[in-house]
Amino acid sequence: MTTIDATLARRVNRGSGENAYKCYQCKKCSTGCPVAGFGDLHPAQIMRAVQLGAVDAAVDSRFIWLCTGCETCSTRCPQSIDIAAIMDELRMIARETGRVHADAPFANILKLNYQSFRRWGRLYEVELLALDKMTRPSGMMDDVVMGIQMFLKGKINPMPTIGDRGQMKRMAQVADRIERDKRAIGAAMELPDTSRPLPSDGGAL
Amino acid sequence: MSRVAYYPGCSLHGTAKELDSSFLATAARLGVDLVEIPGWECCGNTAAHATNRLLATALPANEMAKVKDDLGLDRVAVPCAACFARFMATNHEMADAETARDVAQVVGRPYAGDVGVLNLVDFYHDEVGLDELKAKATRPFSGLRVAAYYGCLLTRPPKITLADDPEYPTHMDEVLEALGCEPVEWTFKTDCCGASLALCEQSIVIELVRKIVANARECGAQAIACACPLCQVNLDSRQGDIAKTDPGWVEVPIVYLSQFVGRALGASDADLGLSKHMVAVEAVLA
Repeated sequence: MTTIDATLARRVNRGSGENAYKCYQCKKCSTGCPVAGFGDLHPAQIMRAVQLGAVDAAVDSRFIWLCTGCETCSTRCPQSIDIAAIMDELRMIARETGRVHADAPFANILKLNYQSFRRWGRLYEVELLALDKMTRPSGMMDDVVMGIQMFLKGKINPMPTIGDRGQMKRMAQVADRIERDKRAIGAAMELPDTSRPLPSDGGAL
Repeated sequence: MSRVAYYPGCSLHGTAKELDSSFLATAARLGVDLVEIPGWECCGNTAAHATNRLLATALPANEMAKVKDDLGLDRVAVPCAACFARFMATNHEMADAETARDVAQVVGRPYAGDVGVLNLVDFYHDEVGLDELKAKATRPFSGLRVAAYYGCLLTRPPKITLADDPEYPTHMDEVLEALGCEPVEWTFKTDCCGASLALCEQSIVIELVRKIVANARECGAQAIACACPLCQVNLDSRQGDIAKTDPGWVEVPIVYLSQFVGRALGASDADLGLSKHMVAVEAVLA
């Protein structure tokens, strides 16, 4: 059963600074979105779901893991809503609450990518790809031939090129602490959840 | 000789080595002294802003603080469009006092958001200038028809990139024209190639690439010029996949803007990185 959670739009606003209630469903975001036709929902539907507080439609969607961050929606929105930033925030909420869509390989890539540059100071592509294949068996055989071709052309480094790892480690630790504290304070100040069943017509979602 | 800081970014030391080598070769010929930021780190890319916003803002701030305080320079060349967008986002966000305070804590020193950021197109169009390019083009092209492909992050979102016309930009076309190329008018100038979905949602990326390359060819382009490592690798490497299901597919070479400039300035084949491409580029760059 779909439930509505009135805290969703406020959580999104706290993290992204964006007010989803400004959306009046013109759907310009969806018509310009390069991946709107490939997912379960499209951006305007995600915005409506955030307004309604339909967590299982927005946070659980596969669409938020297809967003490439191309910023077409944010550029064209007549209400100047940074919709791509809302997609980022929904990804963070999905991870925090353990609700990442079952078919979201990009979530794995983003996680490994994030760990990779924090570990080496720079992205270590071979390690990222190897770990992705180990942790995501469905992608095991993808692009193996292309990978070999690119390696032979010298476009893939077998060893990492390393940045200032000490400074990266220090920055990551401080940023983690400040962000964690902020999100905890925001959550502690949140009004009580007023979840209730959504009307059977789906709230015209 | 002008001095500009240089931030290569991870891709230019990996999948986009030919962007690095061709960019450096052109800067040397154009009289720009590039000073690489010592110990540079990853800009954080999409993964940072989808995970930890503060770190995403702080990583470019750390690099630009080095440019200002350690190198004593006031602008940095960032040829990767994705890194460029992150650097510009940081400058935009430093206007917020709370963000600036948090970033200073993370970086360990304050950064005022005042280092200029030049993407690959800006570098040739603004730092060097079209007249200078024309004057130094000893091997100009003779009417090669090229589609200038901007992709997403050179121009969007305009409040961050400060692009003149995010829906139909023309600065890359003007650079190509200065080199003797004939830029074509086409539809998919600023459409997304699928970016790093290429690592896991291949069928989507193949479809996006097919539309972009087919439109460029239908509009008369003999090559596509780009200024982003992700755009280049997707458009270049996915045409082989398209050809598997579409035997009539005619490949279009995908060339970095810096390679066009380098060719016109007489750079060597090795510096241009001609052998690094999946779709052969010799016919347009030889």
